[in-house]
Amino acid sequence: MKRPASSRQRPAGARLLPLAFSLLLSSSLALTTDQTLRAEAIGDNLRCPICTGEPITQSTNDISREMLRDVREQVAAGRSDAEIYSYFAARYGNFVLLDPPKDGVGMLLWGAPLAALGAGGLVLWRFLRRRPTAAAAATPGPEGDTFDPYLAEVQRRARRGKEA
Amino acid sequence: MTDLSPTSNPTPAPAPLWRRLLPPVLAAGLVAVLGAALLSPSRNATDGGPLVGKPAPGFTLESLDGAQVSLAALQGRPVVLNFWASWCEPCREEAPLFRELGEKRSGETGPAVLGILFQETKEQNARDFIREYALAYPNLRDPGIKTGIDYGVAGIPETVFIDQEGIIRHVDRGGLSRERLNVGLEKIGVEGI
Repeated sequence: MKRPASSRQRPAGARLLPLAFSLLLSSSLALTTDQTLRAEAIGDNLRCPICTGEPITQSTNDISREMLRDVREQVAAGRSDAEIYSYFAARYGNFVLLDPPKDGVGMLLWGAPLAALGAGGLVLWRFLRRRPTAAAAATPGPEGDTFDPYLAEVQRRARRGKEA
Repeated sequence: MTDLSPTSNPTPAPAPLWRRLLPPVLAAGLVAVLGAALLSPSRNATDGGPLVGKPAPGFTLESLDGAQVSLAALQGRPVVLNFWASWCEPCREEAPLFRELGEKRSGETGPAVLGILFQETKEQNARDFIREYALAYPNLRDPGIKTGIDYGVAGIPETVFIDQEGIIRHVDRGGLSRERLNVGLEKIGVEGI
């Protein structure tokens, strides 16, 4: 898990504060409301490099503030989300992305549990499908002709032990 | 002990080989993945990073003395770039090494040493630091941490070793020791100190 889920679901007030702050800032950069929201959404997915799993929109340190300003400048310059993410990933590594691309080892991390679930389901399905026939075969006949010598040996020894 | 071995029991048909091998193979696979993850260099490693092997991002910054310093102007010389601040304790510990490097490997063949201030709270503190350690190389202001972000700096000290072609060959995070400095220097073709 990259970070506690609580940091992602913020109360409305906590969400509005940075938004108001970025609206204030964006006035100097002349961003439209849409662009400001986009910059905010991108910032939500960028990890503050010196914090523990906190996005730059929530962190108050200088580097987060400057990174967010950088994001806003790039949004204003018309760069796409993917371009902005790759800009930061090229400098800080995929570590800076709070939602890293699901390829390579990431794909394995996402895919392995699903594959394990699928394989487990398949095994369970085959087991459940086979059991009724196996159980029917194991039911002793009415005349009790299935003789288990191992069980008989255990019973015999247990009886002997009780007598002694 | 009582022998209860089911010798007389008719043994059921053995499971196919692949089914008997599956659990140990799965377990061994998990152990191997865990081992590889533990042994591979983590992001906490003190060197490396996504910029190694890439062209060094260019910059033109003003030094504390007021001179304009540009990385492009240093093309053809190896460059040692040190991000620091006066409040950073490991920066103090490594500062004498940079002074020594400047003294021992000066001239056209030696590397250009540049300091870049990172989140320096008070410029006077940086000036005092430079005087205290008698640093003779240019130390540059980085307004808005633009260059710091361009180099992916998260914490200081961080030292970037750039070769003559302008390619980043080594990045070291945390206070340098003489050995670690020499590792970086050798990667950009400079004799260690």
